[in-house]
Amino acid sequence: MTPTRSTFAGLSTWEIVFWYFLIAVSTAVFVWGVVRLILKYRRGRGSLTVDRPLSRLWRTAAIVLTHSWIKRRDPVAGAGHFLIFYGFLVLFAGTVILGFQDDFAKPVLGWDFFRNEFYKGYSLFLDVFGAALIAGLAIMAYKRGIQKPFRLRYWRPDRAENEDGRRLYVIGDWAFLGILFFLALTGFLLESFRIAETNPSFEVWSPLGWTVGKAFRGLGVTGSTAADAHFVQWWVHGVVALGFVASIPFTKAVHMLASPASVASRDEQAGKELSPIPADAKPDEVGYGTILDFPPRYLVQLDACTKCGKCHAACPATNSGYPLSPRDLILDLREVAEGALGLRHELHVEPLRDPHASILGDPIRPETLWSCMQCMACVEICPVGIEHVPIINQMRRRLVERGEMDSTLQQTLESIYETGNSFGEASRKRARWTRELDFDVKDIRKEPAEVLWFVGDYASFDPRNQLVTQTLARVLRHAGVDFGILYDAERNAGCDVRRVGEEGLFNHLREENVAAISNCTFERILTWDPHSFHTLRNEYGAFDVDWKVVHHSQLLLELVADGRLAPTKPLDYRITYHDPCTLGRYNGVYDEPRQVLASIGTELVEMPRSRDNSFCCGAGGGRIWMTELKREDAPRPSEQRIDEAVALGGIDYFVVCCPKDVTMYEDAIKTSGHQGEIELRELTELVWESLDLASPVPVGDRGGEEEHA
Amino acid sequence: MKIVVCVKQVAVLGDEVEFTADARDVDPDFLDFALNEWDSYATEEALHIREDLGAEGDEVVVVSVGGAHVEDAMRRCLAMGADRAIRVDHSRPADPITVARLVAPVVQRESPDLVFCGVQSSDGVQAATGTALAELLDLPRVAVVTRIEWDPSAGRATVRRELEGGLLDVTEVDTPALLTIQTGINQPRYANLRAIKQAEQKQIAVVSPAEQGEPAYRVRRMFAPPKGEGAQILAGGPADIARRIREIVEERLK
Repeated sequence: MTPTRSTFAGLSTWEIVFWYFLIAVSTAVFVWGVVRLILKYRRGRGSLTVDRPLSRLWRTAAIVLTHSWIKRRDPVAGAGHFLIFYGFLVLFAGTVILGFQDDFAKPVLGWDFFRNEFYKGYSLFLDVFGAALIAGLAIMAYKRGIQKPFRLRYWRPDRAENEDGRRLYVIGDWAFLGILFFLALTGFLLESFRIAETNPSFEVWSPLGWTVGKAFRGLGVTGSTAADAHFVQWWVHGVVALGFVASIPFTKAVHMLASPASVASRDEQAGKELSPIPADAKPDEVGYGTILDFPPRYLVQLDACTKCGKCHAACPATNSGYPLSPRDLILDLREVAEGALGLRHELHVEPLRDPHASILGDPIRPETLWSCMQCMACVEICPVGIEHVPIINQMRRRLVERGEMDSTLQQTLESIYETGNSFGEASRKRARWTRELDFDVKDIRKEPAEVLWFVGDYASFDPRNQLVTQTLARVLRHAGVDFGILYDAERNAGCDVRRVGEEGLFNHLREENVAAISNCTFERILTWDPHSFHTLRNEYGAFDVDWKVVHHSQLLLELVADGRLAPTKPLDYRITYHDPCTLGRYNGVYDEPRQVLASIGTELVEMPRSRDNSFCCGAGGGRIWMTELKREDAPRPSEQRIDEAVALGGIDYFVVCCPKDVTMYEDAIKTSGHQGEIELRELTELVWESLDLASPVPVGDRGGEEEHA
Repeated sequence: MKIVVCVKQVAVLGDEVEFTADARDVDPDFLDFALNEWDSYATEEALHIREDLGAEGDEVVVVSVGGAHVEDAMRRCLAMGADRAIRVDHSRPADPITVARLVAPVVQRESPDLVFCGVQSSDGVQAATGTALAELLDLPRVAVVTRIEWDPSAGRATVRRELEGGLLDVTEVDTPALLTIQTGINQPRYANLRAIKQAEQKQIAVVSPAEQGEPAYRVRRMFAPPKGEGAQILAGGPADIARRIREIVEERLK
């Protein structure tokens, strides 16, 4: 007996015809669904196409095939998806091969390859991957049904209990797992009944089907009984499989299409460099106020969300009782898109939405948008490349355009416009911190220097931060660095102004800074403020400036390496280090501060959330300028962070290298009740201490209490 | 519907202050300038009413008195959403009565349904311009308004005004009328920089000042009060303290 099997064994001609008819119907529904999706995406503002399609394709293939994004921070779920993905892919490919053999190779080419060794290999391969599919589904069912991690629960911080409106998603999640499991199971049963019918020895190459088939024979299911069962199973499996294919564009399975498309369209600079507003934009073209303002690729991203909740678990707002969950924001927008432009709109299924109606207020509440710290934790971890941060920023822009914002934020923006800094201080006071030094700091507007030090608002005006700024000046002088500052010509760099959504003011500040800096002679720009660092480095490009910008952690490392700074006193402190969002996730500067800390002898103990998983202090995205929005009983992000550091045990210093972190964590050490257990140090302060020079630097005894508006 | 809002660019004192050589004013080098806070509420209220009740062609018109530099404050109002602005060109400092005389013919010509003024200006703090203007225009006026419900078709508005001692008064007024607007009546919107830049492109109409008559007062000299010898802390109940203050004042006046 030749090792092979007949696809349509036991089926009459009309049954085969009916089967092909079902295939045609299923395919037609699938294609219609995909066309509907594309039509929906086309309703968005702007073009459907992307630049560099080929390189995007290769990149996406690598990301999807290796699961490099999917497996992050949950390798078990990653493995589950990996098994399902390859199980499904191989079984699907098996079906395609069979179709190719039956409908093309054999009838047209007279080439019959589905036999002998090929058949045996095929059988083994599909059996193994079928088993993998079931194992993967079991892992996912375990995660969702038994383990129930925070990220997979549909609790949302911006609605009351039972008001989440996510019941259909729960059904959809389980239906998706259920239907795949049913397909795998009926596939194996089908195979087992077939083997049980005649029990050919070569079918040992389908080990699973062979074993179950043998068990059936033991139970007396063989011959025509098995053949009848096979017949029923064949139709059940076939019809459900075709039903599944047809359902892909309409159910959770749509992520099989939308997620790779989303990964492919992902902007690698997403959130890091926000898009400019066209100069001739009308007020209703500024930012996003309706679903029609979203570009097609963002509409694709909304459908790409698989509700894996990794953003929900990473978000500092969600985890501190702010009315924002990045996952639920995306799902709310998806609901709007469906009700306004999608199939639901087409079929008049409630809740319907007017595509031209404002989305701000219902369902996207302004306080949800203002809760965001623009820290990029969500964008960074999203396995399907959704760009929550720029999406939120665009909706903030519309609120700013309409003049709607919290009054504290409004006052801050007005004083930034009037005075050039967020403290509302006169520009001439910007360099007052230099008065405490026993040397003069160059005015780089009047004489050239190797380094232009862009100080930044918090580092210039906040009393606690002034101590760090003065220490850095001493360190630089000690190392013989030739530096100067802009004095009263410096303006707020605009990082957070831009993240608030006030693009006009950002442009204004940028123009003033570019005008001031362009008149100076220097080799590179130094700042110890990661927000200024990010914006000067990445967001001044529109002015065609070619500056080399360094963060002080980078310069300090360089000075140590060159021997210009010689840490003579080893500091045997046990410390932990907090990665600032704008330095780490925004710019990938993770190692330099750690290397500096190692060079001065400290023992660095990492917090559970470090590097790309760093947990925002709560100040970012302009939040430091706004009134509190979180639930009163929830601990602040900064307080949770101090708890996290203290839990490491025996930590002497919580080390930061961002002025806003200094302010936030000096405060949090007090309010979290850990005063006396841990102290804050800025990187520079430890470096200075390690230099073992005579003059002590007062630290931590003043300032840092008030949040400046 | 047309609402005229009278606004003022006010001077804001910095940390240090010096007077001009003739000692009749503060040296402008020591001043910053801004839109009067009360006027931003008045402008917001006008915009709010236009957005709530208005139709195509309805207008909010901003009027101010001063030299070209006051256009900054007017542009802030345009950036918030006002439709037009008219500046009465007058560069010398003016008292409230003079300002009212300068503004009156301009407002008259616009024949608005409502005229809003801020209750007072943060630099002058005289709270007189609005009332004087109502008198000159022969309009009914309500001062220190904290809520407006206006029925344009009936030509009648129900307004709430603040009285001393935390009392409130709800009253009706026939429109056209002049209302002076108190802070807190609304939340003035943020004038974003894009709107401010666009407002810079808008033309502000400039009119020559009309006959202004005699000023209500003249500033003869400005000076910092001489530093005293040190404060005296009065003890006792309110009645005792009041009595003691009266004695001190009477003594000093001798």
